[in-house]
Amino acid sequence: MQEHTEDRPTFTFQPSMEDHSEGDEKSIIVELVKVTKIYPPDVVALRNVSFTARKGEIVFLTGASGAGKTTLLKLLCRLERPTKGLIEIGGNDLNKLNSNATQKLRQRIGVAYQDFRLLPRQSVYQNIAMAMEVQFKNKKEIKQRVLELLEKLSLSEKIHKPAGKLSRGEQQRVAIARAAANVPPLILADEPTGNLDPQTTSQVMDLFHELNESGSAIIIATHDKSIYQGTHHQQFELQQGELQRVNS
Amino acid sequence: MRLLTFIFTQTGRNVLQSWGLQLMTLLTVTLSVLIFSFFYLIYVNMVQTGVRLGEELRLIVYLDSGLTADEQILFTKKVESFSKVDKVVFITPDEAFAQLRDQLGNDRDVLEDLDSSFLPYSVEIYPHKDLKNLSRIKDFSDYLENLPGTAKVQYGHGWVERFEYFTKLLRFIVIISGSLLILTTMFMVSNTLRLSLYARQKELKVLRYLGATNSYIKGPVLIEGFLLGFVGAGIGLLSLFSLFQWIKSHFAGPSLVNLFKLNFLPWSHCTAILLCSVLLCVLGSLLSIRKFLKI
Repeated sequence: MQEHTEDRPTFTFQPSMEDHSEGDEKSIIVELVKVTKIYPPDVVALRNVSFTARKGEIVFLTGASGAGKTTLLKLLCRLERPTKGLIEIGGNDLNKLNSNATQKLRQRIGVAYQDFRLLPRQSVYQNIAMAMEVQFKNKKEIKQRVLELLEKLSLSEKIHKPAGKLSRGEQQRVAIARAAANVPPLILADEPTGNLDPQTTSQVMDLFHELNESGSAIIIATHDKSIYQGTHHQQFELQQGELQRVNS
Repeated sequence: MRLLTFIFTQTGRNVLQSWGLQLMTLLTVTLSVLIFSFFYLIYVNMVQTGVRLGEELRLIVYLDSGLTADEQILFTKKVESFSKVDKVVFITPDEAFAQLRDQLGNDRDVLEDLDSSFLPYSVEIYPHKDLKNLSRIKDFSDYLENLPGTAKVQYGHGWVERFEYFTKLLRFIVIISGSLLILTTMFMVSNTLRLSLYARQKELKVLRYLGATNSYIKGPVLIEGFLLGFVGAGIGLLSLFSLFQWIKSHFAGPSLVNLFKLNFLPWSHCTAILLCSVLLCVLGSLLSIRKFLKI
């Protein structure tokens, strides 16, 4: 990880978003205040959800299918807009961001989607590199990082294979690698271990811990108790759109 | 610099991904430019021929046979005093007879039993350049017709009128064909690029999710539009030039084509057509991309 020490996660895409991590208290990366999301006509996905995630924290969101976990993650990367309430990422009110600022914000958030959202005809390498290309990283840096991630997730042999020809477990790891490629200050992972065996689950969690140690806040929506039970990280449970803290 | 590298790399990828569509669009742009510039070339040559013919235009006033020598001189001086006249030449029947004999060439025998007395005194008027416009020539002719001592005024007005009418018709064709081809080109370019963008819709969505900025998405599409306009117009103009050279070389000699000194479009006009084509294609590509920036 030596080569990424200069790339420590921080929100700096707008002058007002300075990293306050040097202070006594860790800076708040994500803040939700009484967020409600209602899908038309009247399906309440989230109701008065409030929570904060600070720099270098891992937050687990649990709950039954349809409880609102994916909606919550979509709100954080602005794929959805809240019906009510305030969402701030790195001190920026998401409701007030214009198109360009939204794109800059998305560059600072790594998202591993539940449905992967890979390009099936492009190779594993291209799928991961794409996240770095949109930030105009240089080719050498991109190659080095992609190879490193593939090695960590045991995908080196699949580097040139089209993503569409991989198993679901492999696709899931490619999606995680893409989310982690830029070592972003915030990583959102939706069921990141849903298709993985215990060994690859452990590899993925090692990668998340590594990113977390370098300062990334990570929010993981999961059903998989094995990745959060017995850990000291924050856990929240969503029940019919309402958020409850499980541990302190 | 990196932005440019990425944009050009992406443009290359896009072109390779949808080369069939791109080729069709290129062909459309080429044909549009070729058709428009073909008519425009004819029009420009017609205008040039009109100017050349206009420079050689003169009015002939046949004088009444009853005019005395003094009245003839007075008439000539009156016409000379008109500010829009460059030169006035008084022609006696003898001079007219000699001219006619020269013009008849080998058939001059028909004049053997005749003398010049059947020909009237006449005046040749070379109008000023300002006057070389059909309607003004006509006004001037009417004015001369009404002068006392004028028997008849001749300037080949039937021919000039037809030429002017044909030039106007051609101008109309150029404007209509130009407008239609502008619309066709923009429609084709924007729709082809839109189709190729639809084919890449999933990729564009993923790029937006990853934080691709507007310029990252727009850049390659604008360059595609620019290349289509530039290459399409370039091929169109080169094809027209080849066609022009072929016509010149195959119809050289005493033919109709030689009556009109054919010239290819000046550089400035070629550049303007090229720039218009580029502008239209870039506009077409801008129209096509708007929807995809809203993700």
